[in-house]
Amino acid sequence: MDELTIHDDGSGTLKYAINLSSSRVKVNSILALDSLDGKKVPSIDEIKAKVILFKKTLALQNGISGVSVSENYTDFIFKFECNFSSVYLLQDALRKTFAIISNDQSITQQDFYWLSFDSKILKRSVPSIAIDKLHKLSQNDINLLKTGSYTSISRFDRIVDHFENSLSKLSKDSKSLMIRTDTYSLKEKQSILENTIHLFSN
Amino acid sequence: MKNLFFYLLIVISFSFSAQNSETLIPKDAVTVFSINNINLLQKISIDELISYEFMEEIHQELFDGSTSGKTLKDAGLDFDQKFNIFYGKADNFELSGFTFGIKNKEHLFTVFDDFEAVSYPKLKGVVVYESFFNNLILKDGSALLIRVEPSMEYVKQVTDSIWFARGNENIYLIDEETEGDDILKEQIYEEEVIEGNSFPNAASDPNEKNYNELMDSVQLVFQHKQLEELLNELFVENVNLINSDFHFKAQLLHSVEGTFYFDNSRNLDNSSGLWYFQAFLPSLYKDIQELYAGNLILGDLILKDKSVEFNIEVLYGDKLGSIYTEMNDSHFDKQVLKYIPESSTGYFTYNINLRKAYEKAYEVIIPILEEEKNTQISMNILTIELLNEFVNKDALFGTYKGSMFASFNGIKKIKTKKIEFFYDEETFEYGEREAEAEEDMPIVTLGFSIKRKDIPEIVLKHLARLTSKVKNMGDYWRFDNAILDAAPLFMISKNGLFIFTNDEDLAINHSDGYEKKAISTAKAKKAKKSGFLYGFIDIATTLSRFPDDLLGAKQNQMIQSLRGKSGSLELKSSRTTNDKTTIQLIYSFTGNEQIGKHLLDLINIIFVVSK
Repeated sequence: MDELTIHDDGSGTLKYAINLSSSRVKVNSILALDSLDGKKVPSIDEIKAKVILFKKTLALQNGISGVSVSENYTDFIFKFECNFSSVYLLQDALRKTFAIISNDQSITQQDFYWLSFDSKILKRSVPSIAIDKLHKLSQNDINLLKTGSYTSISRFDRIVDHFENSLSKLSKDSKSLMIRTDTYSLKEKQSILENTIHLFSN
Repeated sequence: MKNLFFYLLIVISFSFSAQNSETLIPKDAVTVFSINNINLLQKISIDELISYEFMEEIHQELFDGSTSGKTLKDAGLDFDQKFNIFYGKADNFELSGFTFGIKNKEHLFTVFDDFEAVSYPKLKGVVVYESFFNNLILKDGSALLIRVEPSMEYVKQVTDSIWFARGNENIYLIDEETEGDDILKEQIYEEEVIEGNSFPNAASDPNEKNYNELMDSVQLVFQHKQLEELLNELFVENVNLINSDFHFKAQLLHSVEGTFYFDNSRNLDNSSGLWYFQAFLPSLYKDIQELYAGNLILGDLILKDKSVEFNIEVLYGDKLGSIYTEMNDSHFDKQVLKYIPESSTGYFTYNINLRKAYEKAYEVIIPILEEEKNTQISMNILTIELLNEFVNKDALFGTYKGSMFASFNGIKKIKTKKIEFFYDEETFEYGEREAEAEEDMPIVTLGFSIKRKDIPEIVLKHLARLTSKVKNMGDYWRFDNAILDAAPLFMISKNGLFIFTNDEDLAINHSDGYEKKAISTAKAKKAKKSGFLYGFIDIATTLSRFPDDLLGAKQNQMIQSLRGKSGSLELKSSRTTNDKTTIQLIYSFTGNEQIGKHLLDLINIIFVVSK
């Protein structure tokens, strides 16, 4: 689930949550292995160390504040939240942080922005790094995606005038939009989350 | 007289048909598969053949399009000679490869198209070819495809000695420096120049090899040297596995479709796990070697109408044999059969007498250890002897007698808890709630014969006091979330068995056994008649359904090698004697694939298991 709140000045908050609690048995069984599909399976301690590195690295980036990550290794629910001064700084910060924690400098060279905001219009798409990862999934994993769900929420200080993605649902106060889909459909068609949201002028 | 003539004719023709390719197997081969009747493989495509794990060493040679659409017949192989696959490990190198007969050299080189002839003047009547990875050696209509790899430990040892003799610094210290930031590196460089006492750093001189280049050169030199020594041994001194081990020679004469040879005593010699004994306790290591002397595993592969049988003989010396004989002197525990349901698609029983094995091992091993004049070993012997006196062996071996069984009862949905995110439909604010979930889990039962049921009961009673997750349910104990932190484990202590299972149905409804729903009398009889071991797996319904992510890499590789196959695997054993135990693995198939393919399937299973 992602929840993006954008204030009129372009600053905002990004919340991101991963809930693997319905696959506890599977996740625990994978964690009990040394390797899977020829790749080393990290231990919980290694995952925790990576989360700390992510948190510390992101907090150091320009325009980012209030970084917090909550980790629940019983139900495997991870929640991340940070404040940003502009969506562009947010994206640069995330790109740099992912490049550092995954030791992959090519991520920083991607000039693709998946969010843009000009005080009236918010354009959303799916980050290319996520698309790359989706292409690497095996058929077995792809089938499992059918049981997962994805929710994307965009919140504003102002009322939404109109939006282009017909799958979006407008909240009662007309200041928020939500798109819900399953992870398999998202893998098949990443444009499912794309949206251009027009806000009323102040 | 006619019969005698006919018999001689068979012997002579067999001797002719079995010549050559096996004489090219080096004496250092520890594991050898020999396929005698390779006519069975005539129609198998090479692409299919090289997809097996046991062919992985020559994948690089053959996965280059040169094999596309070709069969072994197209590759110019002589189907009157044996096809031998071998693997071995000597002190400083590993070797692996194949030997086979050649009928058409031209056809052979359409498949092995990356080889170039190299000169070995000492070898008469032998032509040696090499490619980037392997060597192909031809002699009198037979071929040896071999890869010799020096052990990296040895290569590194020699590289280090050359590296330091040249006045270089420790490579790891240099690496640490290069990881620092640029400013730090500059400072260090300046200091070195000023002090003027820096060691020559090979990396800074283009005419000097850096550490990795030096290691590559050492590896290459050893590879050539070891290959040359091996070829001299084979073709000049005429030393090969046949004339080095009479067991192997005798094995080759068996008129079966294939044979298997595995010398565990030599495998022990080269086992890296025993390096400490080799280095620091050489006399004890010698005693261990003696204990394992003659420990060979020999097998015959026999093709029948709808099955491939693998008859294995495990040979050992007197001392090891006396321990195994005592260990396997155990009565079959009939109670276990009650707990294997007829619907089970995979089960095994293991029947040993741990107390007798312990006592015999104590009798055999303690005198060996006592001869060792080493403080640590002496202290260990003292501890073992004191434990032997003070520990209540009746209680210990009454709790675990040594016999056990396991059964796989399919995949079931088990109830677990999940946290659900839910959203307010008006504000889209989200909340969390606990909900029921279902996940697939293999249902497995594992049981042990037990004489002292009171001992695990003591443990469980105390556990129940410590945590509410452990509950006495009357006929069974329940331990919540014990499996993968999600599913309950049930424990049943009845009928002289202590059973662990995640099958709720077994715990609640069948704690005294499945009665009429247990395995049939015919199946039970087979298990009872087998020696210390019996196993059965229905391949399609067991292995194909077993989740990949519950097993380690090696187990997964074995299961992958059987996926998509039909039929069943049955494992039986004989009574153990002082010199051998016989084990039989039967692979029965129902599909319509070529019989040669089933033979390769079984060889592949054995290869993956023995690797």
